Amino acid sequence: MVKSTSAALIVFMFLLSPIFSNSSDVFPYDYKIEQFENGLTLVSIPLNNPDVISYYTIVRSGSRNEIEPGKSGFAHFFEHMMFKGTKTIPQKKYNKFLTELGTGTNGYTSDDYTCYFLVFAGQENLEKVVKTEADRFINLHYTEEMLKTEAAVIEGEYYSNVSNPGRRLYETLRHTAFEKHPYKHTTLGYLKDIQDMPTQYEYSKLYQKRFYAPDNTIILVTGDFNHQELAGFIKNYYGNWEPSHYELKTPEEPPQKTAKRAHHHWPVPTTPRLAIAFHGPEFSVEKIDKAALDLIAEVGFSQSSSLYQRLIMEEQKCFSLYPDFPDRRDPHLLIINALVKQEEDISYVEEEIFKELEHYKNELIPEDQLEDVKSNLKYSLARQLGNTEGIADILSFYINLTADPNSINKLFDLYQKITSQNIKEMAQKYFIKTSSTVVTLTGGEEK
Amino acid sequence: MKKLYKIILLFILGISFTNINCGKKTIDNISTELLPLEENPMVCIKVVLNIGSADDPAGKEGLSALTFTMLSDGGSEHLTYHEISQKFYPMAAYIDMRIDKEMTVFSGTIHKDNLDKYYSLLKDILLNPGFREEDFIRIKTNHLNFLQRTLVNNMDETFGKEILNLMMYQEHPYGHTELGTVQSVKRLTLDDVKNHYENHFVQGNLTIGIAGGYPSDFPKKVLSDFSILPKGRTPELTLPDQQMPEGLNIVIADKNTPATAISMGFPIPITRSDPDFFALWIAGSHFGEHRQHLSHLFQKIREERGQNYGDYAYIEHFTEGRGKFPATNICRQQQYFSIWIRPLINSNRHFVLRQAIRELKKLIEEGIPEERFELTKKYLVNYTKLYTQTLSEKLGWQIDSKYYGYKNFLEEARNRIPKIKLEEVNSAIKKYLNYKNLYIAIVTDEAYLFKENLISNTPSPINYSTPNMSEEILREDLVIQEFPLDIRPENVTTTQAYLFFKETGIPSKNTTKVN
Repeated sequence: MVKSTSAALIVFMFLLSPIFSNSSDVFPYDYKIEQFENGLTLVSIPLNNPDVISYYTIVRSGSRNEIEPGKSGFAHFFEHMMFKGTKTIPQKKYNKFLTELGTGTNGYTSDDYTCYFLVFAGQENLEKVVKTEADRFINLHYTEEMLKTEAAVIEGEYYSNVSNPGRRLYETLRHTAFEKHPYKHTTLGYLKDIQDMPTQYEYSKLYQKRFYAPDNTIILVTGDFNHQELAGFIKNYYGNWEPSHYELKTPEEPPQKTAKRAHHHWPVPTTPRLAIAFHGPEFSVEKIDKAALDLIAEVGFSQSSSLYQRLIMEEQKCFSLYPDFPDRRDPHLLIINALVKQEEDISYVEEEIFKELEHYKNELIPEDQLEDVKSNLKYSLARQLGNTEGIADILSFYINLTADPNSINKLFDLYQKITSQNIKEMAQKYFIKTSSTVVTLTGGEEK
Repeated sequence: MKKLYKIILLFILGISFTNINCGKKTIDNISTELLPLEENPMVCIKVVLNIGSADDPAGKEGLSALTFTMLSDGGSEHLTYHEISQKFYPMAAYIDMRIDKEMTVFSGTIHKDNLDKYYSLLKDILLNPGFREEDFIRIKTNHLNFLQRTLVNNMDETFGKEILNLMMYQEHPYGHTELGTVQSVKRLTLDDVKNHYENHFVQGNLTIGIAGGYPSDFPKKVLSDFSILPKGRTPELTLPDQQMPEGLNIVIADKNTPATAISMGFPIPITRSDPDFFALWIAGSHFGEHRQHLSHLFQKIREERGQNYGDYAYIEHFTEGRGKFPATNICRQQQYFSIWIRPLINSNRHFVLRQAIRELKKLIEEGIPEERFELTKKYLVNYTKLYTQTLSEKLGWQIDSKYYGYKNFLEEARNRIPKIKLEEVNSAIKKYLNYKNLYIAIVTDEAYLFKENLISNTPSPINYSTPNMSEEILREDLVIQEFPLDIRPENVTTTQAYLFFKETGIPSKNTTKVN
């Protein structure tokens, strides 16, 4: 399918050539990418799905940007403030607009970005959506009183999940494994920083100035619309948004020199938990490191792995075993998680996981096993791409990482090139005991 | 008697029994729901069983969940669970099993490249289950761990909702969690599981749904394969009348926690099958649309006062599906109204409980403001268009439409809602909702103190971490903090959290102090 290049006629913007996907690509949708003079990027994927449009605004700022002490959780807090309206469209009017449209007010914050998304029916509503969203990103207005009330909501959000030991384990793991990088804290932030948010009105303005700017934002639209019409709306309504030109200097994480351990005691009975983490590489579609470790994580610790078969099915020592190695802009952690049945078996499970990791440093993974993983990743992606919202969800994530919509296809091309020998080399490079962090969590006595 | 008459009439008219309103199936063969979408590269298969935890025999609560998990997570006669996982893995395939009170669904979505391989495994798993002892032990241990440790200790929001369920459905087939109780699960044997499968995994209990880009002869093949199952069906579950609470009936689970979770509600006599459902839906959406700013409770408790993450209301059993949309295939013959107050700091629990009940009273007495009424109608007409974006959702709603007696329930709703008048909504509110007789489930710390404050109606000023509220809100706070709740001591049970779910019903042992 060949896209029209008529968007090139829109002379006020730098227009990158429309890029067309190969039919064999895992992400098969044609897209257009355009960058406006103020730095705002638009990615659009017109689809034939009847009458539903997904409108995503990706601000490339997340907890990674919380570089100053005492400001953990601020990206997430600011996401909440983004729903406070403007002088022309105050919060109640904004909510009414969304309600009539039949969409919710939705957003989420991650380590690297904050995403605002509206999914709605009806092409005829597109201009209204662009106009209203542009207004709130350019003219957001809130008082100190409003900020204080919202800060209390964040504390409420913290409490909504306070009984979950998994969250506490994850907080402890990140806090222990990282020394300097903001990945040390979770997106929600430390409770003490959350409780200090009501005093941060001035800082919130600084945060907005730095990061809520067109040169740090990408708009992604998928669904039933006309691209040229959309581009016209974007130019018209976002044109006077001033860029910030702010350059973030994220502290570099120093290499870990000694193995670390931490234990968290949970006050009530709970299933014992174990997490073993190694410092890994950042996301890349060029270097093989991250992609190779993705494959090891799957081969070694997914449901089809031999260790899973042994610990869960045969020996029945664990309830679950799973890897977690998020794609992030800066180096993050490769984590192997286990829910262990009996507290006394935690050490055994830990030893077995370390043995398995050693195995990959010394032995070559059979090629057919590697092919199975590659196939799994491909079909997992295909399953998520079945609708406009799914396409936007997936693409927004990769856009946040690289600002390049083609990075999904580049990543899967990279996966295809990885060999067993690459895997062995990467295991040797990253699975170093001194780079590991082990965190355990056990609960109070059963009654 | 009325129902029997209806069945006879339908029979005379030659109308398929599967179209009976709010229905258990009443035929002995497999039903199918097809949604061919040729261009779609994916295929979704749902095998829906009209059997759920309400079909557990007395004393064997949790048997349906254990039996059906043995299918989805236990391997077939020919292949172990691990072997199946390995075969599924390159296709990124799995079988998702969900069980509710009266319905269980096995579902999977697969790329059509892999349909044949996937289907042959699915068929093997469901028609020739392995029922191995080691899988039985593993799955039973998982279920016990969930009941003993996870539910009471690590997920207070769900814990609160399950206590509400126990309160509403005492001595009722709905009255236990889908996984059962610690005592009942311990008693279950592998023979129980095998028998339960043989008794209930029969043709008349099954609806097979297929959606997406499947080959045209595929449904015929599926139907033919599954026809090796015995014909017949489980007799329709006869549910006892739902019991309304008398007064404010409170159960407090006592545990060491900084935050209080609250769920409250009562049974209502209507389901989606009833014409009044649509008017009540508008009321429920206005008062507490799930995780949306539209929710009036959300506005009053979270947005105005910053008390918690959210506050919602529902006119039927709700489980979150993809995103914030309602899950499908959890159809029930009986439904309930509920309010969900997400955890909030313990010191404001009494205030917020008062506030939620006061708002419910205002809804009933004052009705919905005209502007909100029009807004909510527009919202529902548009929002429901987003419910069916995935294949699984399309198929799920199609199956549920049939259960409740519609060709397409969502389209029906979008046709009917714009025509509903405000008086009809306010009349439905008065007819079906009330604020004086509520079941209230609370998970909190120092329950005995809370009980004392509740029964003595102690004023409960709200504590703001940052006092910054407007005069208008502070004036309303003065009213809320004194809002009388008529709570009798005998209607408040405080029980240590760890005692829940050990046996059927609500543990009766009152606590005096937390250890």
